[in-house]
Amino acid sequence: MTRRPTAKIPTYVGVAALVLLAGLSLGRPELVAVAAPLAVLVVAGLAGARDPELAAEVTVDRERALVGDQVTVELHLEAAARVERLEVLLVVPPGMEGPAGGPGGSGLGPRSAGATRTWAVAVTLAAGERRTLAVPLTCRRWGAYWLGDVHLRAHDRFRLFTWERHLDRHAGVKVFPVPEALRALVRPFETQVSTGSHVAAQRGDGIEFADLRPFLPGDRPRSINWRATARRGTLMVNQRHPERATDVVLFLDSFLDVRGPAGSTLDRAVGAAASLASAYLRQRDRVGLVSFGGFVQWLQPGSGQAALYRLLDTLMETQVFATAAWKGIRHLPPRTLPAKSLVVALTPLVDERGVAALFDLLARGYDLAVVDISPLAHAGPAGGEWDALATRLWALERETLRHRYQRLGAAVVEWADATHLQQVLLEVEACRRRAGLAPR
Amino acid sequence: MPAPRRARTPLACGLAATVVAAALAAAPLAAVRGSLRQALAWLAALGLLLAAGAALRVGGLLAPALAVLVAEYTVVVVRGGDRVDAAAPLVGAGLLLYAELASWAREARPRVRDERPVVTARAAVVAASTLAALALGALILLAAAVPAGGGLDRLAVGVAAATATLALVVVLARRTSTREPPG
Repeated sequence: MTRRPTAKIPTYVGVAALVLLAGLSLGRPELVAVAAPLAVLVVAGLAGARDPELAAEVTVDRERALVGDQVTVELHLEAAARVERLEVLLVVPPGMEGPAGGPGGSGLGPRSAGATRTWAVAVTLAAGERRTLAVPLTCRRWGAYWLGDVHLRAHDRFRLFTWERHLDRHAGVKVFPVPEALRALVRPFETQVSTGSHVAAQRGDGIEFADLRPFLPGDRPRSINWRATARRGTLMVNQRHPERATDVVLFLDSFLDVRGPAGSTLDRAVGAAASLASAYLRQRDRVGLVSFGGFVQWLQPGSGQAALYRLLDTLMETQVFATAAWKGIRHLPPRTLPAKSLVVALTPLVDERGVAALFDLLARGYDLAVVDISPLAHAGPAGGEWDALATRLWALERETLRHRYQRLGAAVVEWADATHLQQVLLEVEACRRRAGLAPR
Repeated sequence: MPAPRRARTPLACGLAATVVAAALAAAPLAAVRGSLRQALAWLAALGLLLAAGAALRVGGLLAPALAVLVAEYTVVVVRGGDRVDAAAPLVGAGLLLYAELASWAREARPRVRDERPVVTARAAVVAASTLAALALGALILLAAAVPAGGGLDRLAVGVAAATATLALVVVLARRTSTREPPG
């Protein structure tokens, strides 16, 4: 631990020396009697100062949690010598909240320090005593967090010295958004060859009736439609649509995050991506992810529970990384965007690079559905006439952009603040049906 | 974790220290009369202002506050002639009490909640220090009253004692100087 003398030592020594000198020069024992306690306290404090040899450890009770869950950070403290006062200060990352939620409402007082907050308590430790402080933190926002950034400051009995130590043995916690229950999803225009839950446009073995055709050698007798055969006088067989899986790529535009008091566009995008991934994987589809921003991350489409965890882990690391470098989808590995895959883009349509990437995807023939996460609600209310005009112009520009996408064959729906994701997906599906992109 | 109130220790300690400083500043005024009293009143006011500032706001004012309060007392003692002031141990203990309370007020951060044992232990140390200071002051006055040779001898003993005390402080301070941990 780093030892530091407090300001008391020079103050007490200086005043005591001055008064002793005055007492000697004036020959007044009263002044010696006044100065002596200060000098004796410093001598006693210096003689008794011992390094507390503090052992500290930080643990977190879980590695994964959902938004709204509580994680407990435990600080295990042990001192070789008695510590009269030990200040324990835990740095609470933004997105997490300490015990009582407000200043002064708990035993650990929060203190604002930029974006982060701290929780602190002062305790006393006897020699050899082992003490555990449990600090419950509530997860308020999704993300990957490092907990366990702890500052310790020990004081001696007379407060002449402090011993300081910083613990940076971080414990990681991933907080996932609570997935929304989605009953209907965006259906793909084309499917893959593997079996799944989507009724394919092709004809083959399946359940859903597609058409009738004349019997051909090799057809199974159970496919014969006897009613149609009786009506037409020749053998007719049923044709069906097979049930197939699809590849879904969630395209997350993370170039910019428009943040307001009610939340942010990136928060909503990540929450929606987690819900969509969970829902599509439940339907036995393969789901991939492209987090397209200043820092590009991707996951090739996969299926099953392992893919869900991989995807959520990647989503948790999504953040806005400011860069002016131009990025296009040509930077992505080809297998990230398989042919015939459905691309669901979650974007606020505010960064030119994200907008251009979607045009590029359309030009390459991908089946694209765009959920435009409206940043207008997060931009705050218009303050005056000019603000209102600027907001209207911005809204018009965004509408024009959406029309351009629609003309090129993409379904685009604006996701306003108060709308549920399910409602948005139904609107996307309706839009695709109107454009002839989705099976009716 | 319990959910107690917001820490009030800094304010309580600061106010207590200011009250002690007010007593220390006001007490010498009763011992003088006339124009000196008026001059001392100005000194007392300055001392009180510095003391309150040190206890409630700026910790760096502690040394000047102590110096002014002691200077005020010194004037009264010197003015008193050869008579030894029996209240000196009280003044010494009061100064220490003020200094400790002011330091406590500065060290206790409003956002850090002290557990009850921490506050109790600190209060016990301050109380014990004050009582010890009182006893030490009385002992010094008693020792001063014992006849021990001529004035020169007593001066030599005083110089030796003061030098030894300050030398001890310096030696201990050097032995316990700030050290960064290796690596």
